[in-house]
Formats: sequence, C-alpha cells, structure tokens
Amino acid sequence: MNNLLALPVVLPLLGSLLALVWPRRADWAGLGASVAAFVAAGHIGAEVMRNATLELAVGGWAPGLGIALRADGLSASLLLMSTLVALAAGLYATTYFAEAQKRADFWPLWLLMITALHALLLSGDLFNIYVTLELLGLAAVALAALGGSRAALQAAVRYLTVGLLGSLAFLTGVGLIYAGYGTLDMVMLAGRVDAEPATWVALALMTAGLLIKSALFPMHFWLPSAHANAPAPVSAALSALVVKAAFYLVLRLWLDVFDVALSQASAGLLGLLGASAVIWGSWQAYRAERLKLLAAYSTVAQIGYLFLFIPVLLATEPGEARDLLFGALVLFALTHGFSKSAFFLGAGVILHRAGHDRIAELGGTARALPVTTFVLALAGIALIGLPPSGTFLAKWQLMTSAIAAGQWLWIPVIAIGTLLAGAYVFRVLGHAFGPGEGVGPSLAWARAELPALLLALVATAVLGLGAAQVWTMVVPGSNAEGVSL
Amino acid sequence: MNPLLWMLLDLLLAAMLLGLGWAAVATRDLKRGLALFIAFGLLLALAWARLRAPDLALAEAAIGAGIAGALLLAALRSEPQDGQPAAAPSRVFLLTLNLFSVLLAVAIAWALLSALAMGDGVRLAQAVTEHLSQSGVSNPVTAVLLNFRAYDTLLELAVILSAVLGVLALGPARPGYRLPGPVLYGLIRWLVPLLIVTGGYLLWVGAHAPGGAFQAGATLAAAAVLLRLGGVDAAGLPAAVVSRWLLAAGLLAFLAVGLLVTAFGYGFVQYPPDLAAGLILVIESAATLSIAVALALAYIGGWPSRRAQSGSLHTHTTEGGTH
Repeated sequence: MNNLLALPVVLPLLGSLLALVWPRRADWAGLGASVAAFVAAGHIGAEVMRNATLELAVGGWAPGLGIALRADGLSASLLLMSTLVALAAGLYATTYFAEAQKRADFWPLWLLMITALHALLLSGDLFNIYVTLELLGLAAVALAALGGSRAALQAAVRYLTVGLLGSLAFLTGVGLIYAGYGTLDMVMLAGRVDAEPATWVALALMTAGLLIKSALFPMHFWLPSAHANAPAPVSAALSALVVKAAFYLVLRLWLDVFDVALSQASAGLLGLLGASAVIWGSWQAYRAERLKLLAAYSTVAQIGYLFLFIPVLLATEPGEARDLLFGALVLFALTHGFSKSAFFLGAGVILHRAGHDRIAELGGTARALPVTTFVLALAGIALIGLPPSGTFLAKWQLMTSAIAAGQWLWIPVIAIGTLLAGAYVFRVLGHAFGPGEGVGPSLAWARAELPALLLALVATAVLGLGAAQVWTMVVPGSNAEGVSL
Repeated sequence: MNPLLWMLLDLLLAAMLLGLGWAAVATRDLKRGLALFIAFGLLLALAWARLRAPDLALAEAAIGAGIAGALLLAALRSEPQDGQPAAAPSRVFLLTLNLFSVLLAVAIAWALLSALAMGDGVRLAQAVTEHLSQSGVSNPVTAVLLNFRAYDTLLELAVILSAVLGVLALGPARPGYRLPGPVLYGLIRWLVPLLIVTGGYLLWVGAHAPGGAFQAGATLAAAAVLLRLGGVDAAGLPAAVVSRWLLAAGLLAFLAVGLLVTAFGYGFVQYPPDLAAGLILVIESAATLSIAVALALAYIGGWPSRRAQSGSLHTHTTEGGTH
C-alpha cells in the first residue's frame, strides 16, 4: 500500500474543484495544487531511486480485478518534469491572462489536464489509460480553444476530431486485448502475451491511435495550428507534455508489454516515420514566419528524434549498452520538455509586448527584452543539441548506439536535423539581435519572464550537467560513471 | 416465445441496426442523419437488452440516444442556417476511405474471432462474482464501477466535468425557447416530476439491480431539457454559485471518501467492508447531481443568464429536490 502514488492525481484534481467553486481564489487554488503536486512527485522520484518500482493497488483490490498504479524510473522522471513545467507555465498564466474571468476559466481545465497527465504516467491498466487519454484530450482541446479566435476554434475542433479518432483506435485495441487475454493489467499482460493475430491487430490499433496523438509524421497535420493558436502557457504544456504522454505510452507498450510480438521491421517503420518527421518538421520550422508556428513545427521534428530511438533500442542487446541508450532517450524527452515549454513562454512574452510574433519583425527584441531573448537562446541551444544541454549527450549516445547496431541511416538524418535546427534557432536570434523598435522600450518583467528562464536553465544547464542523475533514476542499479562525454 | 422467433427477432434487429447506421452516415442532411442516429441508439439499447446487459441498455437509451440526441439537436439549432449542404468529397477520396474502412473492419473481425478462441471466455467475470459479497452492493456492474474499478469512475466523472467546463469557457448560453403550447405545457408538467422520481429510483436501485448514477443523472438531465423546451431558460438549475458546487459535488464526495479512509489505515478509495454500501450510496448520490447539472449545462450551452433564473413554469421543481 503506497498512497503516495495517488497524490499526483488527487492534488491537481482537488485544486481544479476548488478553483471551480471559488473562482475568485482560482489563482491560489491552482498554484497551491501545482506546488503540492511537485512536492509529491519529488517524493515519488526519491522513493523510485531507492526502491526501483512503486505500486499501489487502488481500492485494495489486486491488479486484474482492480487497478494498479505504478511508478518506475521512466514514469517518475516524466512526472517530475510534468509537475515542474506545469508549475512554471501556471505561474506565467497568472500574468498572461489579464482578466480574472479568463483565469477562472483557465485553472479548472488546466488542472484537469495535469490530473490526466499524471494519471496516465502512473497507470498500470490499459482501460484506465484510455480514460486518462480521453480526459487529457478533452481538457487539452478546451484549453486550446481558450484564446477564442476563429483560428483557435477551428484548430481546436480539428484537434478534437483527430484526438477522438486516436482514442477510439486505442480503445478498440484494448478491447481485443481483453477479449484475448482476459486482463487489462500491463504487468500481467506482459507475462501472457504471445505473437498471435489478435495481438498484432490490437498492437497496431493502439499504436496507430497513439501515433496520431503524438503527431508523428505524417499524422502531425493537426499539431501546428492547434499548438500555435493556443494561449502561450497552454501551447507550452501541449508541446512539452501532452504530445509526449502519447509517446510514453508507445514506449511502454513496445518495450515492456508487447516486446515478444514485435519485429525489427515494424520498429524500422517507426524509425523511418521519425526520420521523415525530423527532416520535414525542421524544414517547416525553418520556413515558418511566426515564432509560435516555428516552435510547433520544431516539436514535430523533436518527436521524430524520440521515435528514432525505438529501432535502435530494439536492435541493442539488453544490458549496459541498452540501459545507456534508454537513459539517453529519457534525457532527450526531458530536455525537449523543458526547452520547448521555455521557448513557448518566451514567445508568449514577446507576443504580449509586441502584439505579434512575426519573426522578420522581431528587431530590437534583444534590447527591449534581454531576459526573454536569453531564454530563447538557451532553449535554442537545447533544441539544436549543443553542449552543455542534455540533448547533446542524448544525440551523441543515439549516434554511438546506431553505429554499434549497424543502423547507419539515422546518422545523416540526425546531422541534417541538427543543422536545420541550428538554422531556425539562429534565424530567430539574428532578427532578435537586429536593429528595430518593434517591441518597445527595455523592461525586465520578472513574473512573466522568470518562469521561462527557470525552465530554459533546467533544459540547458541542470539536465546537461546533472545528466548522470537521469541514468541513475531510469536504470535501476546503473553506474553513472559509465556515461562518457 | 420459441427460440426460432427470438432468432428471427435478433436477425431483424441486427439488420435494422446496420441499415440505420448506414443511413445515418450516408445522408448529407444533418437533421435527417441525427434523427436516424437517435433511432439507431434506441435499437442499440434493445440489442444490449437482448445480450442480457440491462445496465448497458439503460445507459445507451438514457445517454446514447436520449441526452446525446438532445445535445446534438441543440448544437444543430445553433448552426448557421444557410441551407447549403456541405460540398460532396471527391469520388476517389470516398472510395479510398471506404476501402480502408472495409479492410480495417475485416482485420478487427478476424482478430476478434481469434481472440475469442484464445481465452476460456470467463475473463474477469469470475473474479467479480467471487468478490461481490465484499463490495457492499449486489449488482456486479455497480460493484465494478463504484468499488473494484472506482478509480476509473472517478476519472470518468472528471471527463464529464472537463467537457462541460470546455462548453462553459466558450461563452454565454444561447437564448432559450419560446413558451410552449398547451399540449407541451401539460406534458412537461406531468413528465418533469415523474422523471425526477424515476431518477431517484434508478439511483437507489443501482445497488442491487440495473441502474446507478449515470442513468439517474441522465434522467434528471432529461427533466432539465424538458423544462428548457418549455420556456424555462435556466432549465430548473439553481443560481450559478450553487450550480458550481453541484457540478463539483460528485468528484468532491468521491475524493473526500477516498482520502478519508486513508486516515484509518486503508488505501486510497479502499472502503471498509461494513461501510462500503453507505459510502457507495453517498458517492453515487453526489455523482448523480453532478452528472445531471453537467448535462443540463451542456444542453443550455453556458451559464444561464441571471434574468433566466427567475423564470419558472409556475411550480417547477429543481433537481435538488430529490435528495
């Protein structure tokens, strides 16, 4: 019995209800719940580092009949990232939404989305995961529509339709699994699963649903408009957390549950889609005319990198080499989460000050908003993958492992993607440091700029220099010394 | 009735389901498609009943056909009426889509047949029956929803809440309907109290027979829909301050019970066996109110205006009166 595991779900949910019944105290309820969830996630992280895996049988019923919550290194580290990003973005939201009415609308939905994210990361049960996907999708769509513009509403409706299609595909797969194996618990299922027609069709359906939700090329078509038209704090969470939740599930299903039913060819297909996403997303980001659209296309590319890890992981023999690569994958996901949310918050600050986010007209930003420009630069370093960011270590490890596994194809893809990322980041910085008066006089704006700065620092400095901790957390009993630069 | 007749009835039901489903999808007239969809939902409820799943049949009739139909009709009403049906998609696109759907259906059917052949067919039903006596209720469906998998239900209530909050964040409610003619007026005066009593009955009976919070909430919401159709703009909902509490009540009660038991050494949402029946009733009662208010607000499309709250159908009753 480990009730600690329920807290990251219960606390934001409670905060959401309090914000709903006391709309005038919504800010306090929201920030209080965010801080509490962060503390709980920190405790879970510390416990996972000591004991490897935590489990809570909700309601006291054994998994199978009941639902189990589980935390291992992967879910605990993503949980920690989620609570931190949510806290920073929530803090920024209190200045982003000037009207109290907007904040009263924002907080309950925002906290429901966080509840769903945490429930998804901790769930050990396939049907329960479907419920969390529905909650996540609905809350995310409602938040994306909060801007209220025509473009935002249209993007939100498309996001809703695509998301429902993904959930339904996932649910159909879950139904087939239950019909065949008589259990929904992922650990029990991993022990029973066989390479059979029902398993393949179910896994294909579940994966297809999750690929739509994680916006892997060519199912990314809904993401740029939805992420670019949402309010900035919401965009940050959508890009950094919501998309990644679907990727987390793909990883969980492919590596932990259905590994016996997989072939290298299917993993190779995921890798190819990931490679196309890297090239296409980076190219579109380079061509984007608006800062938030650039950030959204950059997410398409970065999700592509995450999928590149899968064929290499499956081709690597279990052991130290695979643990190293797995740690690198988690490090990549965490760094992208922090850097992309920082980038979106920075874009939000610029949008507020300048009234637009057209990249070509950003001249003078460096002088007017030095802190925010610094944030964009720091986040950009992590998006490109320059040292000392975590992305640098992760890409290095990915390339090393790809060469060791004989999968040479990914090397030029990573190289081209990195060069394009450099191009799109420096295009933004070039304009920002250029002459111009577009953004107005110089001003430091602590409450709006500080959350983004903290996130960018975590992405570039903390995760890069403290990367060894990620491996210790993700790989039980790993030797952090084994990680070489 | 003899088995052959049942078989014929089932075949007829299946054929009609397929026909209605196809007709609802194929028509380009939204209103027509919607009417067919509601009929489809009612027949689907019959199919569930034939499969001896009366809980599902009730839920399908009340929520799938009833409330969902009302919500869709309300959405259609606010659609701009320019009279132009949507442009037809290209033939090639339709053909590809249909081919893909057929292939997918074949793959799923094949996988389902092979999956059904794999297990013993019992799955979790046996475990539920074995533990039913410890659950506090004797209806296995309620035992699963409110005890064994109560955590799912907790999150499902949050799903409903998030959908309604999304609707509410989009803006104020549309204006309501005109006052009804004498026939509708008389009908509403009879039906609303009846629906409220039925809702209370469904809630209570859920412990040992088909029923429960979702069906009861949908029935109460149906009363609200009728009131709104009868010209009561606020649909019988109390003031916004109270409605907010009612909206949150189900989840608040669920969380309060779930957390309170941990103070006595139990796990999260682990009911002490001898208190389980009472705790489940508390949660279900609060959840019924929340579901009813959520569905009613979704039907109205926003918080009812202040002026609307004073409107009444002479002696209309609020949902609060059931408990």
